[in-house]
Amino acid sequence: MKQTGKKQVNHLKRLRASLAILFFVPILLYFVDFTSALPQEVHTLLHLQIIPAVLSGAVGIIVLQFILVIVFGRIYCSAICPAGIFQDIINRLFCIGKKKRKGAWRFSYHKPLNILRYLLLTVTVVTAVFGITTLVVWLDPYSNFGRVATNLFRPAVMWGNNILADVLMRLENYSLYHVTIHTVTKAGLVSGIIAITVFVALAVSRGRLFCNTLCPAGALLSLVSRYSIFRISFDEEVCNNCGNCERSCKAEAIDSKNMKIDTSRCVTCFNCTSACTKKSLRYRFRPPFLKDRPSVADKAGTVKSGSRRSFFATGATIAASLPVISTIAQYSDLPDGDAVTAEDNIDYKNLPPVTPPGSVDLERFKDKCTGCHICVVRCPTQVLRPAGFQYGFDYLLRPHCAFESSYCNYECTVCGEVCPVHAIRRLDKEEKRTIQVGIATFNISRCIVYTEGTDCGACSEHCPTQAVHMIPYEGTLTIPQVEAELCIGCGGCESICPVRPHRAIVVVANNEHRQVAPPEEEEVKEYEIDGFGF
Amino acid sequence: MRRRDFFKTSVVASAALSLNFDGLQAALASNTAAMEAAPDLVAVMGGEPEAMLDKALEALGGIGKYIKKGQKVVIKPNIGWDRTPELAGNTNPLLIKSLVKRCLNAGASKVTVFDHTCDDWQKCYKSSGIEAAVKEAGGIVLPGNDERYYKSVTIPGGVKIKEAKIHEALLEADAWINVPVLKNHGGAKFSCAMKNLMGIVWDRRVFHSNDLQQCIADLCALQKKPVLNIVDAYRMMHQNGPQGKSAADVATTKSLLASTDIIAIDTAALGLFNQVKKLEMAAIGHITKGETLKLGTTNLEKLNIKRIRV
Repeated sequence: MKQTGKKQVNHLKRLRASLAILFFVPILLYFVDFTSALPQEVHTLLHLQIIPAVLSGAVGIIVLQFILVIVFGRIYCSAICPAGIFQDIINRLFCIGKKKRKGAWRFSYHKPLNILRYLLLTVTVVTAVFGITTLVVWLDPYSNFGRVATNLFRPAVMWGNNILADVLMRLENYSLYHVTIHTVTKAGLVSGIIAITVFVALAVSRGRLFCNTLCPAGALLSLVSRYSIFRISFDEEVCNNCGNCERSCKAEAIDSKNMKIDTSRCVTCFNCTSACTKKSLRYRFRPPFLKDRPSVADKAGTVKSGSRRSFFATGATIAASLPVISTIAQYSDLPDGDAVTAEDNIDYKNLPPVTPPGSVDLERFKDKCTGCHICVVRCPTQVLRPAGFQYGFDYLLRPHCAFESSYCNYECTVCGEVCPVHAIRRLDKEEKRTIQVGIATFNISRCIVYTEGTDCGACSEHCPTQAVHMIPYEGTLTIPQVEAELCIGCGGCESICPVRPHRAIVVVANNEHRQVAPPEEEEVKEYEIDGFGF
Repeated sequence: MRRRDFFKTSVVASAALSLNFDGLQAALASNTAAMEAAPDLVAVMGGEPEAMLDKALEALGGIGKYIKKGQKVVIKPNIGWDRTPELAGNTNPLLIKSLVKRCLNAGASKVTVFDHTCDDWQKCYKSSGIEAAVKEAGGIVLPGNDERYYKSVTIPGGVKIKEAKIHEALLEADAWINVPVLKNHGGAKFSCAMKNLMGIVWDRRVFHSNDLQQCIADLCALQKKPVLNIVDAYRMMHQNGPQGKSAADVATTKSLLASTDIIAIDTAALGLFNQVKKLEMAAIGHITKGETLKLGTTNLEKLNIKRIRV
């Protein structure tokens, strides 16, 4: 049994790896780039991701992905999905310095966990249809990768930058500058740690077990990939049962003894074709409608029918439990309640989240957002931050406008541009300036001008529309007043209000965003001055 | 006023006073003739920013009077808002550009420009045109967006604010020039030379919650005073300040003021402001409170003011 024959260049594997790099590197950099140095257009790569494409109803991309998988197999999992590539990188790192048997060739065939896989897929789909996207949030590979990149890699890069910036500054070099990290919240951090732990643990112990059991995109693709036109197959005539293919298969999908390949789990990485010295395993044109490949067809068939059976069985179970789920779905709408907007009675503890401009309304946003945090990282003012449990379990990890120390820039439309799910709709600048995400609510009994009798006006200073403006108060003092019809809820006022613990002016979210009139345009006058005035 | 009292009584300047009157010190060092020639305040009107700056500096006796060879210089404009120069939310970039050049020509070893902005600092630096202007002129742009850049100093003369975190670039500089833009202001009513100092501190929240007007005056009592104040009034935001909504908030007044006396220059700037919009001195507590702290005078009558029309 020869393990290492003459190494041949495996063009397909090289192509797969190159493609993976082409997708992964820009996506990773896009998440960690805190200087906004990368072109905004990189977000196009995110729109190709399967779960976001499905949720946003991007028919073109869904069709494209379908064609890819029906023709070539699960290329997506090996070359497009950042979480898939990330697991390959983890695997690669794990193999460093290890012998093949302990490293790259440490895998062995396992039966697919089809019941779990398709049960998860079904429950995910059904609950999502009923407006509970919790499972999508937790299982979408792209979003999980996003949370790792956002909450772990990005802060690490920023810390590195800060250390370097300090050193350079001591050397009188000002090309780098110190950055503050506002966007990492406890919930975000924990979600990132959970995701990376799962990726590392599963990738190291069982290769692509995540992709073939937990991942809804993987499960979805597996339904199609088992019929893919090009697939890896055995040439039984030349196979000498050495088992290298099985050991190299991170999807644990090759049963070398029986010369079976579970195409539903194969992620077309071409590691096996590299490992096969006999050229038995090759990527071949094997459309399922051709009946001229007895051995392969039969054996793939057994796997197929088994999984199909379990798929239907789980489907039936889910259908039976539908009424229960829909009841839960309805119930989940209740706890939010209406915001208390009475001026001197703001219920500070139970304010609903202010959702990003373009998210249209809270329910829609919760239904669509998968918590990938790309809006969080691209938001130039770092006002978008992942929520913890403060807005209820069903808002967990979704971004909200946190006006503690920042606010939404009047002219900025970045979050809508980058959101791959269109959970945040694309807005043009003019439209953005008229979208009211909430209304600044002033509580005079807390205001400095009222309590201390001194000037403040910080809120009005920061108001881009002058919805918050100063009106005469006692003596020369002026006090803020809010014109709700001009307010867009950017949070400028709340972010700067000096009153603690609760601020005198807070943005109370509109559960449904409204459109307000743009500030009236005043006529530009010419001023003639005849002297200095002193 | 105080300058004259000072001469009349021939009292030796106290340490505190001499800190406030660098111009006077320079004059004392030379002779009384030079002293008479150098005005306390220069006002220029009718030119482009660069031309007006040169007229003002010339009248004051040249930039060399304030900036010495080898000095590390900080220029502190107002870059508070993500606004283009036409909207007058920030100091005119052409003025900053010329001033950076003049300082470098005077032999400054390094000229640094920063502001603790209100809007996102990178957007502000860019939209204001100031980042590009400074770089073209050979200066350095520093961010003021992170607490790390700020160091705590005491302000012995302060009434409400006795300690503040000040940008280290300013603390480490040998000389700094205060270059505000003249604006209406929703909170402080009026934003000019004194108010511009709020851009050198980190925590502005305590200012707003502890009698804003007094805090602004207190901050001007900082021991490290600007060697010169130059007020940009080329464009003036007369309403909806400090941010402004549109070009309708702006009057083109094509003026520039320069003085070492921060109270006098704000008083004069208010006079100019009143040419467009009425604003009572009484409403702008920080100017009179600053006078009480002996930071300068509001009595322009007693000052030697040079008015120049270009």
